[in-house]
Amino acid sequence: MKNIAFDASAMARAIRAGEVSAAELLDTCMARITSTDARVNAFTEKTLVRARQEANAVDARRRQGEALGPLAGVPYAVKNLYDIQGVTTLAGSKINRNHPAAVADAFLVQQMKAAGAVLVGALNMDEYAYGFTTENTHYGACHNPHDLTRITGGSSGGSGAAIAAGQVSITLGSDTNGSIRVPASLCGVWGLKPTFGRLSRRGTYPFVYSLDHLGPMASSLAGLALAYDALQSPDPLDAGCHALQVQAVGALLGSRPSGLRVGVLGGYWHDHAGPDARAAVALAARTLGAEADVLWPDAALARAAAFIISASEGASLHLQDLRDHADDFEPLSVDRFISGALQPADWYVRAQRFRRVYRNKVNTLFKDWDVLLTAATPVSAPTIGTEWLEINGVQQPCRASMGLLTQPISFAGCPVVAAPMWPTGAGGLPIGVQIIAAPWREDLAFRAAQMLSEAGVAFVQPANGPCALDAATMLSTRDL
Amino acid sequence: MDNKLIPAYIATSAALLGIPMNTARVERVAAHLQRTAAMAALLESADLAAHDELAEIYNPAAFSGNKHGDCAL
Repeated sequence: MKNIAFDASAMARAIRAGEVSAAELLDTCMARITSTDARVNAFTEKTLVRARQEANAVDARRRQGEALGPLAGVPYAVKNLYDIQGVTTLAGSKINRNHPAAVADAFLVQQMKAAGAVLVGALNMDEYAYGFTTENTHYGACHNPHDLTRITGGSSGGSGAAIAAGQVSITLGSDTNGSIRVPASLCGVWGLKPTFGRLSRRGTYPFVYSLDHLGPMASSLAGLALAYDALQSPDPLDAGCHALQVQAVGALLGSRPSGLRVGVLGGYWHDHAGPDARAAVALAARTLGAEADVLWPDAALARAAAFIISASEGASLHLQDLRDHADDFEPLSVDRFISGALQPADWYVRAQRFRRVYRNKVNTLFKDWDVLLTAATPVSAPTIGTEWLEINGVQQPCRASMGLLTQPISFAGCPVVAAPMWPTGAGGLPIGVQIIAAPWREDLAFRAAQMLSEAGVAFVQPANGPCALDAATMLSTRDL
Repeated sequence: MDNKLIPAYIATSAALLGIPMNTARVERVAAHLQRTAAMAALLESADLAAHDELAEIYNPAAFSGNKHGDCAL
């Protein structure tokens, strides 16, 4: 068989060309999961029977000369808050084990299936998506393939780790306050948090109705675009899906972008980014020709408002379970849930009123800028179990601080591509850079990401360190 | 919010909502609520006018059986 890069677009091309079958690709993928997941703990469920059926269907269509979807035969996996027909949607919890199996796939899983992708399983996460580290007490911590003693970030930690471990080239996650961008940053993979309301959330277990986004992660920018385009569709049955049309970005990646107005966020963003994060942003800024420091309005207030809304809506969603069996919740988050249930109504209402004013202020920025840059996490991946860390001389609670740089942006609903960067001072660990665009302008974020990718400064690379998964066989081109 | 009052507030409001609590849990929840109270205090500084409405506004679905169409009456 031929060598095929660990990249969804290359895999799809190889299958269309008959260089490899979907069944062979699935075998390779499952073997990789089997050989690595005891150490990474990315998967909570494997759907091999279904995957085999989907791969065989792709191969049959090809043999019959039928048209294949853009992701035909490409293995992928989803955060375990996505409904998978016949599987109980755990959302990282113990409590949901008693729920019946899902009767249908989530809308986005249906979109992936229509594109020909092959679902191989469900992925580890923070319970009910209320966390930034994926140190899940019920299912075990997810381990960062670049250093197995370190966190993956969260709450879509399994989604980041599965790609970084070379298990699947595409995953789906969710992002309420940073839960795609944080693991993308700490695992060194591409991630997209689309505009709020771009992708349907129907058939996924919610966390915060006002803030929940879904999106893809990938081992290449081309793969990220392929997945994003496949996921897009208006969905009138999801009250939170505001998209009226598909605005594909894949075709844009073939053209040479130029003339982008690129700014770098200063102030709050600089103050909360450690030296390695600042170095990653500086390299991205130099590459894109960005010069000016841009002042994003009210970042600290936005983080406070996002925090309050998340606590209140999340707690309301789980109130009955908090009454009946609080001891079955994740110990790391149950007290936060209870605290959220007890917040005065004024805090919540004020936060929602502030959000409207804030949105208008943020949108004004984009009259002058096409994209804005900042780090996705203040630091590279901390060690599992870290309670406190120092950022620029200030002690911060480790778990909450992972979202310092992401929360204010998702609160405005702006689309963000998280680009994997590798600052030299981080000891071989990655830190992502957020490429932020105005709402509904994912295309601009992808164009800037393409420039970073083509310049060779943003990329996914094999783990390489004393505690890494296995540097020799990861992510690079493999025999299939 | 006066931090000294928080444990009593937690015990009372948790009882109102029917969430069982013990002393240790009250203390842990109080630590979280104090942090959130500080954020709420920060948010008090936001300059909001009376007409600054919530970000999320209820949107009534169109009623297909209305002979006047989708217009509000």
